[in-house]
Amino acid sequence: MKPNSLALRLFVTAAAWVIVVLPVFGWVIFVGIRHEVHAAFDTRIDDFLKQVLNDAEENSEDGPSTPDSMSDGLFFITHSGWYWQLKPLDGKPADTRRSRSLAGDNLPLPSEHGVEPNETEKRWSNLAGPAQQVVRVVETIHQFGVGKAAQRYSVAVAGPLSEVEEKVAGFRTRVIQGLAVAGVALLVATLFQVRFGLYPLSRMEQGLAAIRSGHASKLDGELPSEIRPLQQELNALLKSNQQIVERARTHVGNLAHALKTPLAVLINEARSDASPLARKVIEQADMMTSQINLYLDRARMAARIGVIGRVTEVGPVAESLIRALERLYREKELSYALDCPPGARFQGERADLEEMLGNLLDNASKWARSKVSLVAAAQSSSNGTAGNWLEIWVDDDGPGLTAEQLLEPVTRGRRLDETKPGSGLGHSIVADLAYCYSGRFELTRSDAGGLSARLTLPLAT
Amino acid sequence: MRVLVVEDDRDLNRQLVSALTDAGYAVDAAFDGEEGYFLGDTEPYDVVILDTGLPKLDGIRVLEQWRRSDRKMPVIILTARDRWSDKVAGMDAGADDYVAKPFHMQELLARVRAQMRRASGHAKSDIECGPLRLDTKTARVTLNGQPVKLTAHEFRLLAYLLHHNERVVSRTELVEHLYEQDFDRDSNTIEVFIGRLRKKIPPHMIKTVRGLGYRLSQAADET
Repeated sequence: MKPNSLALRLFVTAAAWVIVVLPVFGWVIFVGIRHEVHAAFDTRIDDFLKQVLNDAEENSEDGPSTPDSMSDGLFFITHSGWYWQLKPLDGKPADTRRSRSLAGDNLPLPSEHGVEPNETEKRWSNLAGPAQQVVRVVETIHQFGVGKAAQRYSVAVAGPLSEVEEKVAGFRTRVIQGLAVAGVALLVATLFQVRFGLYPLSRMEQGLAAIRSGHASKLDGELPSEIRPLQQELNALLKSNQQIVERARTHVGNLAHALKTPLAVLINEARSDASPLARKVIEQADMMTSQINLYLDRARMAARIGVIGRVTEVGPVAESLIRALERLYREKELSYALDCPPGARFQGERADLEEMLGNLLDNASKWARSKVSLVAAAQSSSNGTAGNWLEIWVDDDGPGLTAEQLLEPVTRGRRLDETKPGSGLGHSIVADLAYCYSGRFELTRSDAGGLSARLTLPLAT
Repeated sequence: MRVLVVEDDRDLNRQLVSALTDAGYAVDAAFDGEEGYFLGDTEPYDVVILDTGLPKLDGIRVLEQWRRSDRKMPVIILTARDRWSDKVAGMDAGADDYVAKPFHMQELLARVRAQMRRASGHAKSDIECGPLRLDTKTARVTLNGQPVKLTAHEFRLLAYLLHHNERVVSRTELVEHLYEQDFDRDSNTIEVFIGRLRKKIPPHMIKTVRGLGYRLSQAADET
């Protein structure tokens, strides 16, 4: 999960919930159970006290009887932790009677530690007993006998606190283990839930990447109802974006048509006249023509900015151009060689690729003696930083250019050779378009001695 | 040689017609796609100049329909849309050449001549037949290097025969290729012009092939 992501937010909130709630829940359970265990222990001790009192009450006209029916054998085992004790409060401490488990030791009494009796006249306390045991002691004051023989006794029963604490500790361990397992299970479930819940978003991301790389024109697929409006809006946006571009191009084309016909009329009309005015008209009309061409190209390029990536196969474009050029240069009987692997795809508009290749192939056909070749190759850089490029070479076997001409930069409107007809814009349009796609355009000498034009353009992957 | 101009701009159409007429062609003009299609479909033109943005029927559609009904005459597309995508669409529709507006009339005329030569199978701009020589660039005929003075109609007839020399050309074919659509086609006028031509060039060069038509030939063989 990335640092700033919906998945992390959802996971962290769910995890925080688990981490806070589970311990609190565990604590509440633990406290409740501990209370219950202690209460049950107290009840047991209290039951023994009742039994001791009951036994001692038998034949108690002149003092208590020694309780002998204590059911639990633990009262007979030395220092078992289970004890009872009857202690006269009015002198004669030697009359004190004890369970055999005390082995003659005195049981510590809550009354001796200043513990106040509760509403049932019993004193409860945890005290240090014989053999370093902590015992839970209950003590009550009871009067045995009647009249002059009546005697007050402290009757006490004790049970080992360690027994209940072991139980509580064992329970605590089980609660912690159980909650830890539940916590881990919940976190895993949350992770799965987040992944599963956000999966449509990652699918949408892939869809957008596909649009960017030009493999798709809209966001496809059945998305959940929450993000379906987003999908619809995005698709509508993509469509309107495309329509705006198309409309801009249509307007540009219409403008061209609207201006060029009157210009043609003007130029032709002026040519049939030899007056200075006619010469001026021709000169200015020619200038207007080149200005129109320049700004039409600019407008086309501006319309291109922000267009979401399209992919154009080089092969079919080159084939249709060669088909057209074979007709245009029929008399020259040129042989065209096309070497274009299926993976050679241009990241950009078809019309732009047609413009670049059309101008290059047209130039090559104009000058070639017999052969024109177009070779395309996909260049994938190994380290990935330089990106992937499409290389296209258009070679002819014509006269080529001199070394000085090759060094001159390709500038708009300047024709490298003025002897063949043409607008002179061919190579500069190619260069402009190539730069527009952050590509490169170079002219060199071909192996056959003619001109070799090398075009480097972004490759669609 | 007959040329059809299909262009909706009246001024440009007029300029084209007058330039082509001056160059010695018989020219018909159409101002929309439907009219242009009809003329091209019914009349045997040697070259058609076709604008692409036409009212009623788009130029590209006109061209496609001609090619579908097997009209093979050379077609030069005239358009303001000069991107290669437009050129490819035009060439794929069956065009033979492409001229972008605004154009220079001389260049268009050169393209028209090139299409004429190409259609009749001549590679050079000069067409020769024995001592006769037609310079298609200047629209001039010379006999042994001496210019031959010809009227417009005489020139058209001789130019057509020169383009198709050593081939029998029927009288109907001559009428169809030499005159504008609304010309009064009395085939007798052909005989009149043949007679006039025979006075200006060696008479044996134009042979009458009985029942079939005429043949321009350099060989002085039997009739």
